Parts: sequence; structure tokens; C-alpha cells
Amino acid sequence: MGEKRKIPVFCYQCVSGPDLMKVEVEDGIALRVESNYDIRGEHPGGGRVCVKAYGLVQKTYNPSRIRQPMKRTNPKKGRGENPGFAPISWDEALEIVAARLRGIRERGLRDESGFPRLAVTTGGGGTPVQYMGTFPAFMAAWGPVDQGYGAGQGVKCYHSEHLYGELWHRAFIVSPDTPYVNYIINCGNNVEASGGVVGVWREADARVRGAKRVQVEPHLSITGAMSAEWVPIKPKTDAAFLFALVHRILCERNWTEVCDVPFLKQRTNSPYLVGPNGWFLRDPESKRPLLWDSADGAAKPFDANVGDPALTGTFQVAGVELGPDGEIIRHNAAQAQPAFQKLLDHVAPYAPEWAERECDVPAATIRRIADEYLAHACVGQTIEIEGMRLPFRPVAVMLGKTVNNGWGGYHACWARTVLAVLVGALEVPGGTLGTAVKLVRPAASRTGSCLPGPDGFMRYDFNPTSREAWESKPHIRNAFRTLVPLVSNSPWSPALGPAHLPWLFQKQQPDHWPKQTTPEVWFCYRTNPAISSWNAPEVAERLAEFPFIVAFAYTEDETNHFADVLLPEATDLESLQLIRIGSTKFTEQFWKHEGWAIRQPAAAKTLDCVDMTDISTELARRTGILQEYNEAINRGAAGMGLRGKGFDYALDPAKPHALEEIWDAVARAASHDLSDGKEVHGIDWFKEHGYMLAPFPQLDWYLHPAMTRQNLRYELPYQERIVRHGRELAHRLHETGIEWWDTQLKEYEFLPSYERFPDIWINYAREVGRDPAEYPLWALTARSMQYSWGANVGLPLISEVAANIAGHRGVIINRATARSLGIAEGDAVAIESVAGVTRGRAVLREGIRPDTVLMIGQFDHWKTPYAKDLKVPSLNTLTSLALSLTDSTGSGSDLARVKLYRE
Amino acid sequence: MVVDLNRCVGCQTCTAACKHANDTPPGVQWRRVLDVESGTYPDVQRLFLVTGCQHCAEPPCVPVCPTGATRQRADGLVTMDYDVCIGCAYCAVSCPYQARTIVHDERWYYGKETVQERKVAHEERLGVAQKCTFCVDRVDEGKAAGLTPGVDPQATPACSASCIAQAIHFGDFADPASNVSKLAAGNPSFQMHAELGTDPQIKYLYTTPAVPGRDKEPEDEERLADPSNPLVGALQTFWDWRAAMNWCFGGASSGFAVVAVLGAAAGMVNPARLRVLLAAAAVLMAIGLFCVFLEIGRKLRFWRALTRLQSSWMSRELYAVLVFYPAVLAGLLGAGPVALALAGIAALTFLICQAMILYKARGIPAWRAPLVPWMIFASGLLEGFGLLAIAGWLWPGLAAYAGSRLQLAGITLVIANAALWYAYRSSARSRGIGPLARRVIDRVTMPLHFVGHAIPALLLLSGDPALFALAGIAAVAGGAYWKFSVVARAGYQQGFALPKLPQRGSGRFAAPARLEHR
Repeated sequence: MGEKRKIPVFCYQCVSGPDLMKVEVEDGIALRVESNYDIRGEHPGGGRVCVKAYGLVQKTYNPSRIRQPMKRTNPKKGRGENPGFAPISWDEALEIVAARLRGIRERGLRDESGFPRLAVTTGGGGTPVQYMGTFPAFMAAWGPVDQGYGAGQGVKCYHSEHLYGELWHRAFIVSPDTPYVNYIINCGNNVEASGGVVGVWREADARVRGAKRVQVEPHLSITGAMSAEWVPIKPKTDAAFLFALVHRILCERNWTEVCDVPFLKQRTNSPYLVGPNGWFLRDPESKRPLLWDSADGAAKPFDANVGDPALTGTFQVAGVELGPDGEIIRHNAAQAQPAFQKLLDHVAPYAPEWAERECDVPAATIRRIADEYLAHACVGQTIEIEGMRLPFRPVAVMLGKTVNNGWGGYHACWARTVLAVLVGALEVPGGTLGTAVKLVRPAASRTGSCLPGPDGFMRYDFNPTSREAWESKPHIRNAFRTLVPLVSNSPWSPALGPAHLPWLFQKQQPDHWPKQTTPEVWFCYRTNPAISSWNAPEVAERLAEFPFIVAFAYTEDETNHFADVLLPEATDLESLQLIRIGSTKFTEQFWKHEGWAIRQPAAAKTLDCVDMTDISTELARRTGILQEYNEAINRGAAGMGLRGKGFDYALDPAKPHALEEIWDAVARAASHDLSDGKEVHGIDWFKEHGYMLAPFPQLDWYLHPAMTRQNLRYELPYQERIVRHGRELAHRLHETGIEWWDTQLKEYEFLPSYERFPDIWINYAREVGRDPAEYPLWALTARSMQYSWGANVGLPLISEVAANIAGHRGVIINRATARSLGIAEGDAVAIESVAGVTRGRAVLREGIRPDTVLMIGQFDHWKTPYAKDLKVPSLNTLTSLALSLTDSTGSGSDLARVKLYRE
Repeated sequence: MVVDLNRCVGCQTCTAACKHANDTPPGVQWRRVLDVESGTYPDVQRLFLVTGCQHCAEPPCVPVCPTGATRQRADGLVTMDYDVCIGCAYCAVSCPYQARTIVHDERWYYGKETVQERKVAHEERLGVAQKCTFCVDRVDEGKAAGLTPGVDPQATPACSASCIAQAIHFGDFADPASNVSKLAAGNPSFQMHAELGTDPQIKYLYTTPAVPGRDKEPEDEERLADPSNPLVGALQTFWDWRAAMNWCFGGASSGFAVVAVLGAAAGMVNPARLRVLLAAAAVLMAIGLFCVFLEIGRKLRFWRALTRLQSSWMSRELYAVLVFYPAVLAGLLGAGPVALALAGIAALTFLICQAMILYKARGIPAWRAPLVPWMIFASGLLEGFGLLAIAGWLWPGLAAYAGSRLQLAGITLVIANAALWYAYRSSARSRGIGPLARRVIDRVTMPLHFVGHAIPALLLLSGDPALFALAGIAAVAGGAYWKFSVVARAGYQQGFALPKLPQRGSGRFAAPARLEHR
């Protein structure tokens, strides 16, 4: 028996990671996993890993793993076709792929429609990057790659929050300032199941401290279970509930007493005067927005010396409005109102009684929650953080998936942020915070991205909509730069655009649009869109039409069933990578440290798999882009630039480098950068110690210091800039003859108006020729702590422990509803929508609305070993891919109207 | 251990960490966390309940163990010695916390073993009882290394060390300065099934600093009858038909021996035939014992069950056997009345042991009801009487019937048995027997009263040997029927109950003045 060792690695299976762990190894066999307690003092979750990490040992030794590269022998592709995978050598496999890739380079990187011939999809909310080694360098070296094929994003993410959150307060993901917050209104955010170790850790502390959370959602989730109150709201009506909260504060309470008026005046666009056409009224010369100084009764530019900016009233003012496409509307004496007055008028109709009819929450409850929110807001109080006095506003409003995407997502997101703004609780201790940035730059510093932009707001790079700069010919198939100005143009933007459109357009070519070609080569890595997409069965049909698929394969699955080449990569415990940890990151990782952590081979390989870095290097070499690939690594494509202030660990671009050599250079650059050259460590040091940290200021959790220092304002509540882009986009599309995006264009409003969002899904049945009355129930999904993002459905350990939590074996139905349908616990039932039918066992619970059924996680596997025998239903079979269910940011919502019957 | 219900989110990390730390096979969870729902829509509460061995201060599993494999250490930990345990499962049915498991065959997660599973397999645990040990090795090794359990993760049980919500706290209640002592002293807590007197050493916290928690309404019958409700105990499978057969054959045979010896002593039974009757009883008893032998997990170690005479009724039963058989043999070989009397006393002891074994199985409400030992005892005598009646018909001249004291004794036994069953059934609910078990008891009642009580009583009135024998058959059948049903069908485990529910959050930071407005 050999010596037992504990090898430090990280777990980044879910978006709420990374967390650090150790793998106990004997004779090269990984035996057990445990938390890396060495970091318990610095890691904001006590150094622990969650249940998913414990699945990794089984993942490593799964007998169904792909044991060597394979090639397809059956040229026919289809769900019913046996791919006939035959084993081949790595050399042959890589040569087959490289030959295809060289062919592309010879013929041109873009096809006749202008779309990249190479496409790559990775899943898991960006987590695959933490496993794919230097593959990003390969993509960077390649040139144009279509990364816009979605694997479920748009419905599986917090889409509105990603986009609007990042615009408004650098909040790709929003979190309460949990260590300080005392009152949280939580519309469906399931943080106790999806917030990872740190989320669970911090929320538990807050709860025991006495913080109160009100959970507003159609079913009693894990998070609802842990909340002080459950408000069972009708699906997709959260915006009505939130609008009514705003109404309560502004129209029923004395807002001058309960709101943070100085914050509204100085940190928001509330006092900006709005002209008759809805645009800000501006100084004719400087084009700066004007506000009304009540102190001396005159309009002044927002950044002038203003005694007392007016928030209400109507003023006669001379100025100009800037419309779309450079239109200038001049006024000698316009009737202008502050944006805040517009807000007051806008929310006046949204009384609690109105909301009760929409969302099924009693008006008295809405009033009470709004009042409790105000009572906890501590307006006027301050707190000292690291020697600096900051406002203290311990209230937050959180939104969950499905609340936060698709139609109504913008409205909910806007109302949530307005609620924070009204009491000055945005980006201050205790309040609503952003966690990370993915669309603005610099990516590594949220507070550093808080830079001055136009009109006193933060800078934000919209995709251009002007006549000159609009991208009339989409550069990738989801056309995010063409259709969604707000999604910007960062490396993350392709995945955050309308990532389902390629699948949709492949089925039905839209008018006035380049021919929707399929990519000549498609790489898929750590993703299974044939299961995880909305309307997954339809996506599987599209995949069958792809001419050449290269799948980095763990086991056979529903997506690589259509692949031409399977490349078994070294998995979590078998491969090497160094990643950034610490600072602030979703969902609740707020550290007082930052640094780097390693994942290293803990288990000896038991089959013929290869590290992704080695695969990438070899592909680059065989494709003739080695020089560019190495230069991309030198620039930072492996996570850290190898040249920096005072250091140069750059690789020789001319030759291929071994795995350890590459990561050794990254380790040295990273440690040099982190310690200002005081402690430079190679990869061997990281292998022994696991991680390296340096302090990170808590003050950087909040944008407030950066905003006040630069005298910037949050772009709330009035949405002038977005509307200008929307109007320009409408012009551009109509000039091109495109009318199929018209519904989406209507979403661009200065202040969002409520519409009956549930009706969009109810009436969708008519669009496909069915009667909405056939589908009387809502079907929803919820994340599972044991499964979410883990790609671990094939692991029996996870299945076993998940079964302790209700719903993992079937569909959750309200007990009374089930009784009325003659359905008993454990009965086999079918759940049917216009898109499809899924089957499973009935799980009867009281904690769900009678009009709603719930399917946890994502299942309905038909190929993945073990998972295919679980027979658990999946919402992904029931959701529809449709333009009419797509909002202006390109997201849909994870819900469907269904009928339910016993089989 | 202190478990904070306000913290646990049911993530299953502790369960998985425990499985890693203790290498438990598929389906075995020493640390299980239940998803509990109560109330009716829309007033619903949901919480997550950490369960497992409670390391009771008065562990019901320890005294019943016939081998001493389960012990309580000086520091209170309840331990398992896999090399001593015979896998009789008595501890498992005695545990009101469903903490124990027996795995008889190797199981692998993927159907076939992996190299890792081979490496961490524990063959010594096959066929024996296993349960949470509070990671005793970790605790001991940690302490030896100068670490403090409950503070240093390496010296703390894996569930507690891994918990991502800090819901599970481990420490020494005997030390008032320990983390758990402070938590328990500073917060109200409850113990699971405190009324059973086990003094379990997991204390559940249910309050926040400002909110006292609240009483839980009693579960409604429908919920308690729902097998999918995690609070409802499952049907125990440790003791199946094989164990039940020991009560059927053992009860009837020992009762037979007792009745025969008493009958002979009282002059109702021909004393010359007593040794043959005892030999017949011995054969029947052997069948029962063979059945239960088939049940145990480690058959070659069965002799170890003799080692806990001082506390285990199972050991005592075996000693009764060890006296009974030589006495019967001696009788057959011509020994005098002393040997036969000794056989009678041993049989009586055996019957009492059988009665007490079931009664001491504290984990099964239908078994631990106070009437159960009386029922087994009385039923054993009635079945013995029945066997005597059958023997009398087969072997004329064995005994006198009509108008005899035998007739009176038989009718008295029938009435006593009927009364006991009636009382058992009527008091079942108040004794904490759940609806699922009560359904079994209800189903048994009419057939039992008819076959096991009414028919024998009526036939016994006749005085005819053949009818007497028929009465005997009915009485034996009735006894076997209810015992088999209660052991193998009504043996639902205790399940779990929450006397208090946490009240989540408090809102105590609200500024009340700001809540009031015009």
C-alpha cells in the first residue's frame, strides 16, 4: 500500500465557485475529497466545498467514460442513428480535426454569409473556461469564431440583470451585501440552492443574526424554506409586485421623508429635466442635460454648481433634446419635468390593488412589505468600512431566474434597482451590490470599470446603432452586435446575445437576413445543448444538421451523439490549470483577498485522455497558428499576461511548449503580479501550496467610493440612452426591411410600462394553432444544489443524495391539484406543452401554487449513461424556441403552459 | 453535537462528505438530511432535518446487543466493533432514530466495482451493523495530535467540518467551555424523541436571537400515513419472515413445553408422556431457531450472542435454549422429574425472553408498546395449549378434556388473549403507533378474533377431543398470524417528529418608529 497524500485543487463546477479542496490519493488513485481547510480563514465560505465536489471521484472512475479518441463511422446523423464510434489514436484524431481546420483556413475563415466557419460552444455559465486550459488561446489565435450558439443561456441565466445590471451598477450578477443586510425582498432567487458555498455560508449567518428575507415565488424553494415569509406569487408577474412596491413608497408614503433624497438628487438622473419628446433637455451649447435649481430658480447643466436640484414640478426651460440619429430638437420654452416627476406619474397607476389582480399577492401584503423595506432601510445612517464612512442601507431586492429574463425581466430588473435607488441602497454597505463585470472593461476590476461616460453616468460601450457604425451584416449567427446594443462587445457578449437565434434561424430563415449557414466545424466543450437548451429536442434536431462536430467528450451524451470526432480530455482531477480567485465574484464571493489557485492532476490517468492545454497546443501546431497561439498566451489568454510591469515570462512564440512549461510561466507571472515581484513562484510551488493570496480591500465591494470620487450618477430611473439606441436600431432594421424584431423594439421605453406578461406564454398556444385552454397550468423549474452546472447527472452518488430533496425523482404538484386530477403520490404522469411531452412520477407537495408544477434541474436524458435510466422529467422538453417569446435583449423565460395527466 | 435548524439548507454536503470520510456503500447514509414539509398551502413550512446516530447518553442499542459489538465509550460515543457483531440487527430495530444499516452483499455505484471503490472497500462491514461513529477515528487521531474536536476541522467529524452553513457543531457537552455547550446553554433546543428517555446527544436549535420558534402543530393523520413523508418511519426490513418464524415457532413450542409441564404437575396431563411432548416442543423450537439463524449476517459468529447475558434478552434467550435442550435430552434419556421441571423452567424463560426481546426493540412503536410482552407471553401459553390439544387428539389418553380444569384454562387463555389484543389495538394510537402500523393491526383484528379467539372458545366448550384439537389448530394459527403480522408487517420504524419549528428571520433590525405612518 502506498503513501497517502492530499493534493490541493479547486472545484469550479458551478458559477458560484471556485472553492478549494484536497484530494486524498494513494497509489495514484483518488480516494476521497475534502475541503481545503488551509484557506478557511480567507475564503468567505470557511474554505468548504459543496456536495458537487464530492462527485468528482466518481466522475474520474466512471466506467462509461470515453476511453480513447473515437471517430464516427455512420455518416447519417439523427437521434435514432447509431453513430458507430470507432476507437482511433490521438494522432489520427487530431489530424482529422486539423485537416478540417486547415481546409477552413485555406478557403477563408468566414463563409459566404460572412459567418465564421468555426464555431465553439461551452456551457455552464462560463465555468468551462476554468477547465479548458489554453483553449482560449487557440480561439484567439484562430481569428473569427462563432461563440454564439447557446446551450440554454437566455432562459437559464439572469439575463436582464446581466445586461442592465452591468449598465447601471457594474452588476453582471447582483448580490445583497449579506454580511450587513437586514431585510431582503427576494423574488424567486434561489440562493440557498444556487449561491454556492459562500452564498449558503453568508446567508446562514445573516439569518441567525436576525436578517429577514421575504421570498416571493410560485413554489416554496429551498431558499423560500429558509425565509421568514413565503409569498406565493403568480408566475411571471413579479414586475407587477415590484411596481406596486415602488408605488407604495412614492405615491402612498411621504417619499420626501422615507426616501434618500440627497442620493436621488446627487447620484441619480432623477433631477434631470426631460423635454416634451422624452429626451433629456440639454444645454444648447454643451449638450449637457439640465436640471432645475430651486435655490435660484434657474435651469443649469447637471455638473454646474447647483444649490437644490428640483425633483418635482414643471418648468419652462429653453434647451435642446437629442433624439436618435443626431436629431436635435430645439426648444425656446419647453415644458420640462425632472425625471423623478416622470417617475412619480409613471408609477401612479400601479397601486397595490392593481397589482393584487395581476400577481395574486394581497394588496395589504404588498403595502406591508414596502413598509418593512423602508423601516429597515436606515436612510441617513452611515457605517465605517476600512476607515471610510459610507452610507449604511441594509436592504436589498433580489431577482431569480425566470423573473429576470424574457419578457418582463427588464421591468423587474428596473423596478428592483429603482427600489434600491429610492433609499440610496445601491452599491453601499448593506444594500444591493454587483459582484463582477463581464461586459465592461477592465474585466478584473469592477470598481476600476467605474469610469466616467456621457451625461454624468458611467461609461458603457453599447453596440453602435448609428447609420455609419451599425453592424448591418451580423458577424456571427446570433447577431448580438446587430440586434442587441446593450450586450456590448466583450468576449462574453456572444454568449449573452440572443444565443438561441442560431438554432431558430437554422430551422426557419428570417427575411432580409444573410443565409443562415451551419458552421463547418463546431467544437463543443463541457456542454450538452441537446439537453440544456430551451426546447432541447429541437436543438438536437439542428445538431444533426451540422456537418462536422468535434466533441470534447467525457461519456457519450445527447450532444456528442451527433459528433464526428470524440476527444476525451483529462477531467477535473487529471489536468492542470491556474486560475484567479478572490476579489468579488458571483454569486456571493466577496473576499478580502485575491490571488491564484491551482487545479492539478491528482489521479493518475486510467484511460487515454489528454490535458486540454496539450490538445490546444497540438491543434495550434497542426493548424499552422502556433505563433499566434503562443502570442495569445503571452498576452494573457491563459488567464494572466506573461509580460507585465517589471516582468517578462513570455514563451518563445516559435515553438510548442509543454503543459508544465506553459503553466509555470503563468504561475510566475501571476505570483509576480500579485506580490509586486516579492514572491515569484513556479508551478511546483503552487502544486504544493495550492493557492497564493494578497489582500483585497473590502471598500472595493462597493461602487460608492468610486462614484462619489468621480462625482458620477447612476443611470436611473430614466432610460434615455437605451431608448435612443432602441430608436436608432428600429431605423436601421426598418431600413433593411426587417420587421420580425418589431415587438422587441417596443421594449425600449424611457420608463418601462407593465403589460400582462403571463398572457404572452398563454397566448403562444394560438401561434402554433392550439387553444390556450388546453394548457391550464404553469410549468417551472428550479435549480438543484446537487446538480446545477455540475454536468454530474451521470454520477450515482449525486443522484443518491439528491433524492433526499423533494422533487429530484419527478414533478412537484400541489397536493390539492393532484387530488382533483386523480393523481396520487408516485403516479406516472405526463406533462405536455405545445412543444413536447415529458414524463415522470408525481411528487405531491403543499409548497407550490395550485396552478403550477415544477421540475427541478435538467433531465430527460436519452443517451448519457446512468442518467438515461433516471426517467426524470425536464422542463427543457416543454419550452418553446420562438421569436415571440424572445425579449429585446435576446432572452426568453424558463416556463411553459402545460397540461398534466396520469398515464 | 448541536444542529441549527435555522442554518441547514439541505444541500447534502455533509451526507456526501460523510460518505467519503467513511467509505459507505451505495444507499448507505450515516448522515442523512431530510426535506420536511408541514402545513397546508399557502401556509407551509419547509425545513431540513439532519439525522443519524444521536450517540444517546442512554443508548437503547447498547444493552440489547447480544455480543457487545455496540458499546458506549467513557466519552459518550457509541461505537461499533465490526469484528464482533453477528449482524442480528437487534440494535437496528432498537434505535428510534433509524441510524443503523446492515449491508449483506458488496454493492458498487456503477454496478461493477471501480479501482477506487476496491481501494476503500470495507469487507469487515458486510453482514454487520453499521452507523455513524461521529468519525471516532478522526476525533481520536486529532486529539492525539493535539487538536481540538469541534474547533480543528481535522479532528472534527466530517459532516460538521464540511458543513457549508455551519449548521452542525461538534464538541464536548461535558466541557462547559466547549462550543456546543455554549450554543446549547445560550439557545433553546430540543432533543429528538426526548420522551423515549434515550437522552440523545444531538441538540437541535430552532430559534434566532429574537424569535422564539414555535410549537409544531401535531401532524395530521393523512401526513403520518404518507410513506413519502420523510418524517414517517419506513417498514423495518431487518427482521423479516425468518425472525417472525422464531416468534411463531418459538412462542408456540416454549408455551407447549410450559403448558405440558404445568399440566403434568397439576395432574391434567399424563406425566409418562411428558418427555415425548417436550421433545416435540424442542423440535418445533429448533425450527424457529434455525429460521432466525438464517437471518443473521455473520452466521459463523453466532456463538458470540452468548456474551451479553447481563443486558441482552437475546443472549438470555440463548441461555434458556442451552438449558432447555440438555434438560429435554436428559428427560429422554430417562432422567427424573427434576430434568423435566428444569426443561419447563427453561421454556418459560425462553418465552419471557421472546416477550422481552420484542418489547426492548425501542425503535419500533408497534413492538415496544407495554402490552406486547404480555401478549407474546399469553399467546405463547395459548398456542402451547393448542398444541397440547392437537397432541391429545393424535395421542388419545394424553389428557382429559370435558369439564376438566384444562377446558377452563383454555377458555381463560383465549379470553386473556382476546382482551390483550383489544387493549393493544385500542391503545395503539396513544402509544405512538403510527397509522401505517395501525392499519396492519386493524386488518389483523377481525380474522384474529374470529380464528384465534372466537372459534377456539366455542370449540373448547364442547369437550370433544377432535373439536378440542380443532380449537388448538385455530389458536396456534391465530397466534402465528398476529405475531407474524406484528413482526413482519407492522414493524414501522419510529420516524421523526419536530416539537418545535424554527421561525426564520426576525426583522428585529426594523426601526418600529418608521413602520408607523399616517
